[in-house]
Amino acid sequence: MKKFNTDAEKFSLVRREAIYTGLALVGLIIFWLIAGFGTASSEIKIFHLPLWAVLGTVGVWLVAIVISAILSKILFKDADLGGDDDD
Amino acid sequence: MTNGNLSALLPLVIFMAFMVAISIFVRHKQAEKNFVSNYFIGNRQLGGFVLAMTTVATYSSVSSFVGGPGMAFQVGFGWIYMAVVQVTAIFLVLGIFGKRVALLARKLNAVTVVDIIRARFQSDFLAAVAAFVIVLFFCGTMTAQFVGGAKLFSAVTGYSYEAGLILFGLTVVIYTSIGGFRAVALTDTCCALIMMIGIVLLLNYVLKAGGGYENIMTRLEINNPELFEPFSFGNMPWTIYFTQWLLVGICTIALPQSVVRGISYKNTAGLHQAMLIGTVVVGFMNIGINFTGILAHGVLTGTAADYGGVDNVIPTTIVRAMPPELVGLAIIGPLAASISTISGLLIVASSSIIKDVYLHWAEKKNHAVTPARVKFLSISATAIIGGAVFVIALTPPSLIWLINMFAFGGLETAFFWTLLLGLFWKRANKLGAMLSMTGDTIIYCATQAAGFKILNLHQITIGITCSLIFFLIGSYFGKKSDDATLKIFFPTK
Repeated sequence: MKKFNTDAEKFSLVRREAIYTGLALVGLIIFWLIAGFGTASSEIKIFHLPLWAVLGTVGVWLVAIVISAILSKILFKDADLGGDDDD
Repeated sequence: MTNGNLSALLPLVIFMAFMVAISIFVRHKQAEKNFVSNYFIGNRQLGGFVLAMTTVATYSSVSSFVGGPGMAFQVGFGWIYMAVVQVTAIFLVLGIFGKRVALLARKLNAVTVVDIIRARFQSDFLAAVAAFVIVLFFCGTMTAQFVGGAKLFSAVTGYSYEAGLILFGLTVVIYTSIGGFRAVALTDTCCALIMMIGIVLLLNYVLKAGGGYENIMTRLEINNPELFEPFSFGNMPWTIYFTQWLLVGICTIALPQSVVRGISYKNTAGLHQAMLIGTVVVGFMNIGINFTGILAHGVLTGTAADYGGVDNVIPTTIVRAMPPELVGLAIIGPLAASISTISGLLIVASSSIIKDVYLHWAEKKNHAVTPARVKFLSISATAIIGGAVFVIALTPPSLIWLINMFAFGGLETAFFWTLLLGLFWKRANKLGAMLSMTGDTIIYCATQAAGFKILNLHQITIGITCSLIFFLIGSYFGKKSDDATLKIFFPTK
């Protein structure tokens, strides 16, 4: 595990992670648009629900979970937050 | 108080007593620790699971469980498609602000979001405005939670509105006052778990009462084709989708009650865990309860108007679909959503007054404040704010749900650019933040009061746009932040 020793390294890491999160948001918005509005004309039904209603709701949720997992398990790194919290 | 369903009341009373017991336990366990840090942020000791649950529970209000599914009943799957944008709320706020705020809070010994704003922009005036905005809009949101919860209680149990308000309203004020942030976080966790159980329970009975999933959906396909269309035959215009992405999606990252959670957790492993758990839970709740709202057509055969409007859909469904002895369990979920939001806001509002205004003033004037006095004032402030909102809710103002959304949008317009640009852009300065926070709050309130809209979009679009323009103008024409401040907020090698 990489160590982030200085404040500069930690803040640089945090900035990078915030950018990843912003990009993840953009990706999810694009998926949301395609999954819902993009498939609204499809005649396919799953459990009595039109395709757009499945992909645009449960699909978006599952993609958000995958995004959160990628962010938190792969892209985000552990770092010592500093300070004395024990009082 | 005499004509209600006693079996519905009992589970509620037990649940509320449990909440108070948690706060007393927390107060007892943490009696010896640093009071301010402990009372307002739980001594930065939250683990991943509790962090996720408290963030979700504070974010999910009673309207998520009552008004939202009522709208889903009326509009259909377009409403869930719109509501699902809330799955971004947890990973966005924790991913963008979580670590930065935690690092800064430890460097600055900050306990509140206003502490960080004061340090970033070196302005007591801006800090005072921020504290005022928080208290003002939080009171609006809390009133809506009190009223919504008490109305639901009355509709479902048969007891009076006032009885409901006393039961859960006073309980939440008491346990928040006694236990502070740590108790809020733990009770929020219980509330979030109860909300999920409540959704599963209600869904189960709605499916049973409606003759099963196949039966309900087949009837809906024939009788309510608008429910299966994203624009719901005109009931869900694109403007709602657009503004909801701002109101309950992107801009929620700047809600002070969410950002303060970034100060309260123990380590980054917990933060990472909370991002994932929070996204799972918030999606489950949103899709689960709104889908239940649509399936309520299997129980209620009329339109929402036949039952007194969308807000009465879920209460009526609970009464009709569930056995009387389980009604109390079913409404614990929505009431838990209500009290968890109130407690989360109450503790931040209290910290704004005591920590951000009073203690800072005392420090500047070199007035010594004893720990006992800080403790007394903090608990008193929490109780007084809660009590004041309780009194307002006794005579509920009309258009309460509009007040709730107004407050939500107001907080977002005030804090979005101030926090985002303030924490990630070196050029951001005091003038920009001041113009942005004061200017956009005034414009947002004025456009709300006048009912002025552009392209029929919610006024948050005007507020957030003006806020950005003001911030940029101020930052380019105002004096740059001093080097010492920049060194803290943007350290270089």
